Amino acid sequence: MRIMIVGAGLVGQYLCSRFSSEGREVVLIDRDKDKLLRLEKEMNILTVHGSGASARILAEAGIARTDLFIAVTDSDEVNLVACIMSRQYDVGIRIARVRNEDFLTPGMSLNEEALGIDLLISPDWAMADEIMKLIHVSEAFDTAEFANGRVILLGYLVHGNNPCVGRSLFELGREHGSRQYVMTAIIRDGQTIIPRGEDTIRAGDKIYLMVLRQEMARVERLFNLTSRLPARVFIIGGGDIGYLVARRLEELDIEIKIVEEDVERCRFLSENLAHTIVLNFDGLDAHDLLEEGIDRADLVIAVTGSDTTNILSSLLAKHHGTRRCITKITRHDFVPMLGKLGIDVALSPRQVAADMILRYVRRGSIVSVATILDSDAEVMEVTVPEHKKFDNVMIRDCSFPRGSVVGAIVRRDSVFIPTGESVIRPGDNLVIFFTRDAARDVEKFFAPAS
Amino acid sequence: MRIGGVLNLLGRLILILSLMLLSPIPFSIYYGDGMIPTFLVSSLVGLVAGTVLVLVFLPERELGYKDGFAIVTFSWIGLALLGALPYILSGYIPSFVGAFFESMSGFTTTGSTVLSDIEVLPRSLLFWRTMTHWLGGMGIIVLTLAILPLLGIGGMQLFQAEVPGPTKDRLTPRIQDTARILWSVYLLMTLVETVLLMAGGVDFFNALTHSFATLATGGFSNHNASVGQYQSPYVESVVTLFMFLAGANFSLHFMALRGDLRAYWKNEEFRFYCAIIGIAVLLILIANQVSGTYHHPARNLRDSLFQVVSIMTTTGFGTADFDTWPPFCRTLLVALMFIGGCAGSTGGGIKVVRFLLFFKHARLQLHKLVHPRQVETIKLGMTKVPQDVMIAILSFFAIYLAVFMAASLIITGLGVDIITGPTAVIATLNNIGPGLALVGPTQNFGHLPSLAKLVLIFCMLAGRLELYTVAILLTPGFWKMTRRPKIRWQKKPAVTGGPSANR
Repeated sequence: MRIMIVGAGLVGQYLCSRFSSEGREVVLIDRDKDKLLRLEKEMNILTVHGSGASARILAEAGIARTDLFIAVTDSDEVNLVACIMSRQYDVGIRIARVRNEDFLTPGMSLNEEALGIDLLISPDWAMADEIMKLIHVSEAFDTAEFANGRVILLGYLVHGNNPCVGRSLFELGREHGSRQYVMTAIIRDGQTIIPRGEDTIRAGDKIYLMVLRQEMARVERLFNLTSRLPARVFIIGGGDIGYLVARRLEELDIEIKIVEEDVERCRFLSENLAHTIVLNFDGLDAHDLLEEGIDRADLVIAVTGSDTTNILSSLLAKHHGTRRCITKITRHDFVPMLGKLGIDVALSPRQVAADMILRYVRRGSIVSVATILDSDAEVMEVTVPEHKKFDNVMIRDCSFPRGSVVGAIVRRDSVFIPTGESVIRPGDNLVIFFTRDAARDVEKFFAPAS
Repeated sequence: MRIGGVLNLLGRLILILSLMLLSPIPFSIYYGDGMIPTFLVSSLVGLVAGTVLVLVFLPERELGYKDGFAIVTFSWIGLALLGALPYILSGYIPSFVGAFFESMSGFTTTGSTVLSDIEVLPRSLLFWRTMTHWLGGMGIIVLTLAILPLLGIGGMQLFQAEVPGPTKDRLTPRIQDTARILWSVYLLMTLVETVLLMAGGVDFFNALTHSFATLATGGFSNHNASVGQYQSPYVESVVTLFMFLAGANFSLHFMALRGDLRAYWKNEEFRFYCAIIGIAVLLILIANQVSGTYHHPARNLRDSLFQVVSIMTTTGFGTADFDTWPPFCRTLLVALMFIGGCAGSTGGGIKVVRFLLFFKHARLQLHKLVHPRQVETIKLGMTKVPQDVMIAILSFFAIYLAVFMAASLIITGLGVDIITGPTAVIATLNNIGPGLALVGPTQNFGHLPSLAKLVLIFCMLAGRLELYTVAILLTPGFWKMTRRPKIRWQKKPAVTGGPSANR
């Protein structure tokens, strides 16, 4: 499969590294020659220098043989023009990144279909979606939804005082009873472990649990974790992400304060938001933040345009006793170390957008894919193909690839969390958790032809 | 100000009203009350006066914002003077000031009367009395815009100056179409109420005239006991319903007639209007019951509801003498008098939306104290209220207070007592009708000194045209810019002649 990516920004780079590490043919087009030279050395990709909106460059880069075309430059116009030009060729899937709200609002006439583009994606909108998902699960630092949201993957940090510490999965399972959750992964010191019964939980582990949505509260209680909507939320930064999140939080009747430095933007926010309190000062102004009660907030969402401001204001809030922080960070290289600083959740809009693109591209028989932020583990939803090796067999007899585990089975309208004795049939949807090394094995395992 | 053009248009409006003065004649013929000569003579006087104005002064090609204020104020004074003629000529109100008061009270939909016995008036004169309400309710200029192309120029300015409320809804791009829509809704609702009242056993004449007075939120009744005469829960509920509707924004009725019933609920002013009425009825109900004014809760509810809606919408019909109610109820009713109807309704008063925005502004100031760095926008529904509208509202309160204080001082200075005087000003400035004590629901304004009546006439006019329109004529700067009128038979100046020279 040949993939063409226009724009070597952070989204483009991230997609390149993901696709090339999976052994795909990747062509990257950008106007910055130096950057391309550097990336060509780092990654196993072909680079073409030039504008993505130029027909000659596209032809030169071999668009005629491309299956997947992704335009993710900083300019809406270039992305849209590039995608529209690619319609001349037999490209399988076209994806464009856009900023303009007019293309993304549901019900607008000039949508994906009218433009002939398969997926329009905006990092800011994707980011707002991600933040809203995290807000619904208060303790979790990471979530993903499967089977139309009926099954959720929740990531938790296990603190030292948690009673589960030092116990094996086998013991816990006996105590809790099976079929309530599947522990799909443990991340310990940057290492991803697909756990077995004898593995024990240690303090500082990040554990990933697969649960049914309706069982969420019960499972969280089993692990001494609580989940409820925050009552007081502080948003630092009134840009597009802050505005979108505030608008959606308002529907949940949450007390919201939004801090924005620019007066004109403040006027816009106060005009377009119903009961959010719009405050006009710098997000690093500790005195004013405390005066407005940031220490009493249940959740602080730092989403200004500056990483420094986001990190520092989150640290300030945590220092004064805020329960939880969601921090936006543009450079995702920094994400792994933020946990050590005490920041609960760090999100990079571009990475969120890239995940969304990956999820879209890998549909087919694979229904959805979510990547776990700072690990090399992935989750995906697979439809069991028509084959006799899958016909009415128990999971433990199925010889699944190493490094993978089944988190949930969706059969027609019912969803259940499996044990080793659960039986699978063709047509079932399986939610599978696997390490990146096992990605190709899993795909091959489920390939319909084999 | 282009005084020539203003007087020319005034002449045209007087001509229209002269034709309206013929409308009571069919009733005069039917009932044989011998009033035909009175109306014919009145109409003739109007036709002559109007023709003279139109012939002497040449029309202007263009009229400005300021001319709009002058035309509206002059025409309302002129129309009230002409409308007073039938009262004087027929001899039922011999004094000029009394007749002028009655006529102005009619056109401004106030409903205050100088007559102690209404029932002795001939039918055709009673019809004329409520006709003035009906014409004044939606505005005679809006009517002219709707049916005649006479006021083709400066229509928007005139509309702005006559229609109440801090901001005006434009339902259509052309102001003439908006005027036509408003009058159609008004006419339709009048007809529906007439039919409903007739279904309740009221004869055609009384049903029609009471509908005129209800929809205009006027309050003239043909009976000394007002609507209380009928002693019928059905009639009272029909009148209450239509008073309530007349006090709401007519643009909402238009949207509802087009099928969008949710328009009512989406309108923040309308919700506030309903809330005020609901709470006031409840409080008065409780106070009346506790004080023992009423023994039957059902009767209490009927009277409280009717009186609250009647006062709040500035109609002024009565089914009970609220002057005998406990002091709490009277205070509350006087407070409601200030509020009045919604913007774009036929009701008077300060208007619900001004209070709503006023309090929103006060709340914003409070929030500022709690969160000094907060940025907040005043919104009405989902839309932002511009800063200049807010300033206009705040200065409206200032002018309102000044007019109220000055008028009250003059009237009490003339020896009227401290309850009667100020409540008479409140009742006229807000176009309600009855006040308290000597101008209460069962009393009339006839006993007040002539000068007091003239002050109240000014209050009625200022209240109906929402102060600014009248107040601007009292500023010296307005008159300094007056241009010399163009007379039809004027010799053209030798050099600077031609119509363009004056522009």
